[in-house]
Amino acid sequence: MMYNNEHFEPVITPNVDKAGCDTLDFYLKNEDGYKALEKALKMKPAEVVDEVKKSNLRGRGGAGFPTGMKWSFMPAAPVDKDGKPKPKYLVCNADEGEPGTFKDRLIFTKTPHRMIEGMIIACHAIASNKGFIYVRGEWFKETRLMQKAIDDAYKAGYLGKNILGSGFDCDMVIYRGAGAYICGEETALLNSLEGKRGEPRLKPPFPAQVGAYGMPSCVNNVETFAAVPYIILKGWEKYAKMGTERSGGTRLLGVSGQVNKPGVYELPMNLSINDVIQVAGGVKGGKKLKAVIPGGASAPMLTAAECGVLTDYDSLAKAGTMAGSGGVIVIDETVSIVEAAYTLLKFYEHESCGQCSQCREGSHWLARMFKRILDGGGTQDDLDYIAKICGNMAGQTICAFADAVTGPALSSVKKFRHEFEELIRNGGLEKTRAHTHSYVTEGAHV
Amino acid sequence: MSNPTVHEIKGTKDDLNYVSAKRPVHSDPSPDAKPLPKVTIDGKTYEFKPGDTIMEVAERYKIHKEIPRYCYHPGLPVAGTCRMCTVEVEKAPKLMTSCSTPAGDGMIVHTSSEKVLKSRNGVQDFLLTNHPLDCPVCDKAGECKLQDYTFQYGPSASNFKEEKRVYDEATTKLLSDKITLNMNRCVHCERCVRFTDDVTKTHDLVMVNRGWHKELEATDPALGLTNNYQGCLTDFCPVGALTMNDFRFKKRAWFLTKKPSVCDRCSKGCNIEVHHDEDVVYRYTPIHNEMVNGHWMCDDGRVSYNDIMNPSRVISPLLNYENALHSTTLETLLGDLKNKIKASGNVQLVVGTDSTREEAALLKDKFSDAVGAKVNVAYFNGTNGVSTSKDDMKMDHLLIMKDKTPNTRGVEDEGLTALAGNEANADIVILFRNGRAGVPKLKSNQKVILWGVWNHDELKALPTTNILGVIPGLATMEKAGSFKNGDGIVQKFHPAINHRGGAVAAHQVVGVLKSLT
Repeated sequence: MMYNNEHFEPVITPNVDKAGCDTLDFYLKNEDGYKALEKALKMKPAEVVDEVKKSNLRGRGGAGFPTGMKWSFMPAAPVDKDGKPKPKYLVCNADEGEPGTFKDRLIFTKTPHRMIEGMIIACHAIASNKGFIYVRGEWFKETRLMQKAIDDAYKAGYLGKNILGSGFDCDMVIYRGAGAYICGEETALLNSLEGKRGEPRLKPPFPAQVGAYGMPSCVNNVETFAAVPYIILKGWEKYAKMGTERSGGTRLLGVSGQVNKPGVYELPMNLSINDVIQVAGGVKGGKKLKAVIPGGASAPMLTAAECGVLTDYDSLAKAGTMAGSGGVIVIDETVSIVEAAYTLLKFYEHESCGQCSQCREGSHWLARMFKRILDGGGTQDDLDYIAKICGNMAGQTICAFADAVTGPALSSVKKFRHEFEELIRNGGLEKTRAHTHSYVTEGAHV
Repeated sequence: MSNPTVHEIKGTKDDLNYVSAKRPVHSDPSPDAKPLPKVTIDGKTYEFKPGDTIMEVAERYKIHKEIPRYCYHPGLPVAGTCRMCTVEVEKAPKLMTSCSTPAGDGMIVHTSSEKVLKSRNGVQDFLLTNHPLDCPVCDKAGECKLQDYTFQYGPSASNFKEEKRVYDEATTKLLSDKITLNMNRCVHCERCVRFTDDVTKTHDLVMVNRGWHKELEATDPALGLTNNYQGCLTDFCPVGALTMNDFRFKKRAWFLTKKPSVCDRCSKGCNIEVHHDEDVVYRYTPIHNEMVNGHWMCDDGRVSYNDIMNPSRVISPLLNYENALHSTTLETLLGDLKNKIKASGNVQLVVGTDSTREEAALLKDKFSDAVGAKVNVAYFNGTNGVSTSKDDMKMDHLLIMKDKTPNTRGVEDEGLTALAGNEANADIVILFRNGRAGVPKLKSNQKVILWGVWNHDELKALPTTNILGVIPGLATMEKAGSFKNGDGIVQKFHPAINHRGGAVAAHQVVGVLKSLT
């Protein structure tokens, strides 16, 4: 087998290269479309949850929380204070905003029915009759495609009342955000869905208790839902076997940066970062690899020497970084790490929601500081202070945004301190370029 | 007269950020009862009510001063965003915000551990990066939480070398004719936004933009702030971002002496702190009283000190001599008035419902005797169309009452009756009021004696020929007494400032009148 994994087969992307793969007809004809739903509707909800639990499917949004367990947290029969039953909601997090991550977009445009089927099965599993799909504001085309897929599913009787004669009702609604990165955080997403400012909520209460519109809600990533039909149809064992001991299945990795064949790859998790780069055609122009950001912008960088690490959740966590949302950014020797980190920090400075003191002020401070170093105003003290600022930010705020900011900031200083020092010594990036003719990147910027 | 419970208005050493109505709780001692859960804070164990947050437990036992806060306010919903109130909870991986974390049975909390102090130091470091540090010209200086906490926890120096954030258009911006915003000073605690959302329910403030250029803005910038409690914004704004135009650039906070009193601007009787320097009042701020006004007070009440500090207030005895009012001594004035009252024989004393209970009792029982003639005593309200306490009602969901005098119910309790037809029927009418009650309709041939708190504008509205004299009296904050508010709560107060003019207390006037022959 190509990836040294005898159990591996594409779960989500077997046919994404075929023409018309986004249509309902194609899905029904070539991909056993909605067969899993048929099967799931004959199972008890608890059995579906159990199946997903055993498959070791972990949330593909970034945190990697076991999906089956998340579903089992949903209260069975919630009631309000008057004793009336409360509705439960399923929410699909399609606010794919992490720089370097573009895997969910592929699912939206190429195999939307897989996700819809996964969502209907999930609705059945948590006994919810309503699914919200929160789409990032910038996805105009993707929203249109998904809406068409939903309409087709309604027409074919996979959505609406009495699905496939089972008596189960399920409705699905698309809600487009207004284009804020923070709305990918599940509670900020819920606020935004309700029409409020997209700011993360205090937890507890968790969404499983008080979610969308105050009702128990379950929020999952697009890719997570898209994996569910396979698990139900082919059984949990087959899915679990493909992965590692603690996380089943395959992962979609969006490989970008200086590689020959950037794109989305569905890969087993027993590959190392180096393997992934090889799959993506190797580093562009035969240049030397300098660093890799393995899980979207928030994941701390790995140096070239560290890229032997496997891409599963636990191995990456052990290496001090994270699997995150599967955005692998490859950085070659021509890139200035300081500039790359600044690009990311500028993004964070712009996207912090501004609730918590540390994140609001810290993201701004770090971005300005990196800029100053790039412009030649840096000092050695700054490097120590970056670590101090990051220390004051990480783990201190409502959501994980502050930790995300410290990912590129801290790892770049820690692992590429010499580059910062070089810039400080030479008086900025421009002068360093003129002196040493290094850091002259051709083509893709991060 | 019944003897209701009298609540004395007490000053507080705490500012409103720290005052809470939470009280200690105790387990039911009976053996069958389930004991209350216990939490250990800084080495001491406390019982608490299930559902309390760590902050609320601290409030119950008055140890909440150990926990600094910006966004938390006992009168507002919890936001948990400033991250200043974080505490260390044993076994928890991260620091927890005490304002939002429920206390658990057996939980061990440290409010000042090394980790906590480091975090607070970090928050201060961050908040100060973009703060303009314009303390020398800031009205909040001296009572500013950013100053206090920096002194207590903050870094002594900053490494911030970047350009500070400046909100060009919001450096000095009027949010209404009462409130000025200086956005550069803001620490984004959003107490103000939550106040207009959850307390006044007017929703007239919002945050626009995000991240480091998040900015406070009136929901409708053309309309600005619309609620009647805007002064409260400046009370709980932890920095000088929201300041009251009435107080801006008037006085440094540290020169102010603070004395408790009661607001006499309506029948609510909000507990207030009179802030004065050398007996000149610069502002009123509310004192927390869960029973009466909570943490708040309305704007009309807040600026009502201006009526008392009015330069045109009559503060020396005035006697009508050849159709003009002349300043004289109290004895001369009272001697003259006593003779006229005695000679007339048809005299009515109208007691304003802004008089204290004690004054009402004194005038009803002792005045006739003091002047040596039968004087008919009635009370008069005359504000907002209110005649008796039955006409009083709430004007909004918070504090403002229809009756704009503080003691209608108290005066009624003393057995006085309302002035029939709101019109005095006597040859000589004595109007006793303290600047709040209205003036009844007067006939063109009636002579009047004005007594209490009057200003020259009010005098001008009356024909000078009819005014026999003016006896200056003490305003509420200058005297002791008690009011019964619209809800039936009797509140006792002491002088907050000394009167430095020629006004005297009512009982002294009565004493002098009696002594004159």
